[in-house]
Amino acid sequence: MVSKEVTLVNAQGFHMRPASMFAAAMAKYQCDIFLKFNGANHNAKSLLNIIAACIKCGSTVEVICDGPDENEALAEAVQLIESGLGE
Amino acid sequence: MLKGIGASEGYGIGKIMIVEEHTLEYTPHAVNDVEAEVKRYRDAVAAFIEQTKEQAAALRISAGEKEAEIMEGHIQIINDPAMGTEIEKLIEAGTCAEASVEQMLDMFINIFSMTDDDLTRQRASDLKDIKNALLSILLGINEVKISDAPAGTVLVAKEVTPSMTAGINKDNIVGIITETGSQTSHSAILARAMEIPAVLSVPNALSQLSSGEQVIVDGSCGEVVTAPTEEQIADYTARRDAFLREKRELEMFRGRRTISASGEEYELCCNIGSPKDAGKAMEADGEGVGLFRTEFLFMDRTALPTEDEQFEAYKAAAVILKGKPLIIRTLDIGGDKEIPYLGLEKEENPFMGFRAIRYCLKNRDMFKSQIKAILRASAFGDVRIMFPLITAVEELREGKALVEEAKDYLRASGIAFNENIPVGVMTETAASGVIADLLAKEADFFSIGTNDLTGYTMACDRGNSDVSYLYSPFQPSVLRMIKSIIENGVRENIPVGMCGEAAANPMMIPLLMSFGLTEFSVSSVSVLKVRKNIAKWTKAEADEVAAKVMSMATEAEVVEYLSSVV
Repeated sequence: MVSKEVTLVNAQGFHMRPASMFAAAMAKYQCDIFLKFNGANHNAKSLLNIIAACIKCGSTVEVICDGPDENEALAEAVQLIESGLGE
Repeated sequence: MLKGIGASEGYGIGKIMIVEEHTLEYTPHAVNDVEAEVKRYRDAVAAFIEQTKEQAAALRISAGEKEAEIMEGHIQIINDPAMGTEIEKLIEAGTCAEASVEQMLDMFINIFSMTDDDLTRQRASDLKDIKNALLSILLGINEVKISDAPAGTVLVAKEVTPSMTAGINKDNIVGIITETGSQTSHSAILARAMEIPAVLSVPNALSQLSSGEQVIVDGSCGEVVTAPTEEQIADYTARRDAFLREKRELEMFRGRRTISASGEEYELCCNIGSPKDAGKAMEADGEGVGLFRTEFLFMDRTALPTEDEQFEAYKAAAVILKGKPLIIRTLDIGGDKEIPYLGLEKEENPFMGFRAIRYCLKNRDMFKSQIKAILRASAFGDVRIMFPLITAVEELREGKALVEEAKDYLRASGIAFNENIPVGVMTETAASGVIADLLAKEADFFSIGTNDLTGYTMACDRGNSDVSYLYSPFQPSVLRMIKSIIENGVRENIPVGMCGEAAANPMMIPLLMSFGLTEFSVSSVSVLKVRKNIAKWTKAEADEVAAKVMSMATEAEVVEYLSSVV
């Protein structure tokens, strides 16, 4: 299992469009991927779970990956979030 | 007459067509054949996806790209792992498809409806839409065919869902009335995108109105006239025709330069408060941004924004503007706004207190962080820095020195930025007006903030009803301030813009043209109107009006005269 903390930089946080883009990107990995935020783990492959977590701009989340391709998954997840989730 | 929220302006006269909410009632049945029930669910999902794709395509044409994407988002939601697999698990455990769908979707609808994030709450109505659509397919209920509505139809419904809008033929639907919805709800956004007059949140509209009844929809005032008289019909028809005519006339100014009747050219920009607004400014045919308020980056959060965060936001706006000017105003905040983490104390007199440039110059690390972010963004467009609330030359000099320090740092780090980034002053205090000659020698541009300039000059709080009568930019003292600021700027050959509300005022426009203002920065919705207004005046006419106005002693005289000539 690997993990890293990242901060959201895009102005509207994890709203619909970035959440669905992120979930789609994570869906291709075999490992389990979670976003730990406010003490709870949210399934990063589910856009509904991400949106329901209400992660706003400036918030810090811990990306947790557990499984065969966990390193690649973590790298991509961190890169996506740090670069502003396409916004 | 029924009252509601005027969410989409214009007037419509037509006959009611009620769009009933389907009774999606059913008796949950026992599942005998799990495989068959799962298949029934999957077939319904396939039909739903097919239907949604068609609706999105129709919406793309009748409303626009963004609205079509809302519908396509429904497909992603139903395919979400938290949704489809969970529903199938419920079915495999013995719950019928209808109940499984309802249970899962209701769970998410509740979670979303209860958050305090506005955007997320709006997603709840998407989920309701999906739930109703899936249940309708499973129960074999056919939707009311809105696309069959005859010409001159006024739709009445509980709310306007994206799937409803897909069936709306703009040639036939002349008005929309709903029982729910606010200015920012789906119903409002969709009605405005389709340019159909709409009145929302009319209590019990569905029970008060009947199919076939003739009504008048006034989307500008938020009123519905029932059982209209011949006179009312004639009156509103005239209003509607005038409204549509004005809209067409304004559209003629789209894509044109902003020029007076005698050929002088002006820059016409927009005031924005977020990167998203930059997009709206471009859609509204703005020629740039004369004021980018940066407070949004600092509000509604628990800690300062990082330099990177700020850079992303400024860069986003610069990129959207594609090289058009972007004037970014540095942090303009004080004790009157709720920013707990800044540690600002509640002041007796916040508008004369520790705020804006004063706060920033005493918090150099934070200020430099913002300046560096703006400098980095200047590599992506025509970005300019503006300091608010300047009252003394020292403040401008200190600010400029900080900009130079930030440049040194970025240069040493090999980070790109515009070496010649213009640094200007937002002239919004009486002091800045009086020393405009001194400031003009050291600033690269001025932008007149008439909102605060009027308040400080007239020493009155526009929010205090006892003295708000004094708050007017047409007070001779304020007009003289404005004229002096512009003339001093022109003398030093720097651009002088105006970003306060007065810039869009048809009575102020000829004065500003005469005084020599070079840039008007207004809200996006006012762009075409201001361009049209400027085109009405020759410089000579504007000069004549200005000369008369500046000889008057009272605001009442000024307003009376301007009302008569404008």
